[in-house]
Amino acid sequence: MTDFTAAVVSRTRVHWHLGLRVSKTRPGAGCAMRVSQLVSAALPCLLLVAAVQAAPPPLPAEHLTVETLPPRSPHWIYVFDDAFDNEIDARVHLFDGDSYRRLGQIDAGFTPSVNISPDGATTAVATSYFARGSRGTRTDVVEFTDNKTLAVTHEIVLPPKRVETSPNLFNIAYSADGHFLYAAYVTPAASFGVLDPQAGTILGEIDTAGCVLVIPSGPNRVSSMCESGRLLTVTLDAQGHEAGRAMSEPFFDADKDPVFVQGMPTPRGYAFLSFLGQVHEVDFSGAQPAFAPVWSLVSPAERGHWRPGAEQVGAIHRALGRLYVPMHEGGEGTHKDGGSEIWVFDMVTHQRLARWPVQRYGLARVLAVQVSQDPAPLLFAASNSSDVAVLDALTGHLRHLEKHLGQTVWQMLNP
Amino acid sequence: MMRSLDQLFEQSTRSLAQRTSRRSLLGTLGRMLTGAALLPLLPLDRAGRARADEVKADPSSQESCEYWKYCAIDGFLCACCGGTSTSCPPGSVPSPITWIGTCHNPKDARDYIVSYNDCCGKTSCGHCDCNRNEREKPVYRPSRNNDLNWCMANADSNYHCSVSVILGVAEK
Repeated sequence: MTDFTAAVVSRTRVHWHLGLRVSKTRPGAGCAMRVSQLVSAALPCLLLVAAVQAAPPPLPAEHLTVETLPPRSPHWIYVFDDAFDNEIDARVHLFDGDSYRRLGQIDAGFTPSVNISPDGATTAVATSYFARGSRGTRTDVVEFTDNKTLAVTHEIVLPPKRVETSPNLFNIAYSADGHFLYAAYVTPAASFGVLDPQAGTILGEIDTAGCVLVIPSGPNRVSSMCESGRLLTVTLDAQGHEAGRAMSEPFFDADKDPVFVQGMPTPRGYAFLSFLGQVHEVDFSGAQPAFAPVWSLVSPAERGHWRPGAEQVGAIHRALGRLYVPMHEGGEGTHKDGGSEIWVFDMVTHQRLARWPVQRYGLARVLAVQVSQDPAPLLFAASNSSDVAVLDALTGHLRHLEKHLGQTVWQMLNP
Repeated sequence: MMRSLDQLFEQSTRSLAQRTSRRSLLGTLGRMLTGAALLPLLPLDRAGRARADEVKADPSSQESCEYWKYCAIDGFLCACCGGTSTSCPPGSVPSPITWIGTCHNPKDARDYIVSYNDCCGKTSCGHCDCNRNEREKPVYRPSRNNDLNWCMANADSNYHCSVSVILGVAEK
């Protein structure tokens, strides 16, 4: 049926192109005419028939298929697009930093939280749906997507409590071995759910006494951030129930210099930046978090003038010990303003290695950065226009500028 | 008007009281009032998430991100969506819980405590995206955080737009 249709369409197209009122079954019949007109008409008719016979053969029939992803590349990036203008329709774009192509999409619902399993095989999306599209009964759910097929494999329905907030790694997070998945709840009372992602079940809910978010460490520990600047760490038993809890000493002052909640993975834990540009490295490898001496992104002269600011406020290449931070000039209240420059730091020496003004890349203010973890790393920088620059993370050289990769790109993830 | 203000303030206070101790509340209010007195009106930089071409630049207009009452607002201005700076668009529902800020009114040189309620039950308005963060804090201090969807406790918790309602003068 398809072949027949294609043939008819192809033949019809040739005849219309020639501008003749000729029969599909009798090409050339329109040339019948008086003998006196024969000479003048014969030549164009012959040329036309020759043209028909010389036309290239029709295209073969095509077959509809579904694309499969090639083997995973360290240069792939999962781009969180909140779709803020129509927020019930957020999505995650999978983008290849080498071919500069969108490879596919994961749907993400309303104000979602996204994270990737430790083995990189699964993307977990915690989101909400309303029974009538934009209204009606709210259903909170975690959806699991197979990163090889980008198809949803299963889901866990949550109580309608999950935190609906800006993206960060600690709204939903896997344990280090992938056996537990933790979902932060804010109603605004704070707690978190412990889930079994393999079995697709909820194991329990743990109150966090006003502390928020789920910072995972080891196979069974969850830390939450408290207004007092402390970390509450809950240890779980094998069934995912609370086995103990402890409160740390304060490591920041929420009044004088709050820390962003967008922590960045380090080899032994996470690093948190403060509004004024202090770096708080927290070692989560032990039973309780340990705090390294604080160091600064800014000189005394720069302090209070230059500061970090973004939705995703930094990225670390763990093997190279490089920290990338969107920085801008501004005062109090500008902590979500995007960076006019990207500053690069050595995590060991704490020295600034480079300043890369983003205007040179054709970018507006940078709201999110992420770096691939391979030896030839790419730095991805997303602007407040959702343009994404792909840079050589070692040199700052621009490799590509992808315009409007999404509507409102606020976070980028890689395994 | 006073009755609705009373109701708004009561709702805000109740939601705060559910999450914080009395000492914490007093401390927060004290810091807020002190901060309002000590902090000068800072120069504004609209380089954040809000896309500049989407908001009017007139600082006296409620449809402008520069409007004084919006100093820590995050979202679509209801004034651009069929409402005003103090009213939700038709058919949407105010959030009973909210975050609060302190903004300086240049016309009378007073600082005001304002309540940033969300209007809920419809999908996002999509006009006049405005993200300002004076004295805004991360989510571990929820009463001062504008990242949360404050429609979270509504029967229909979809986010539509945001308003800024004066609760009272911040005494110096």
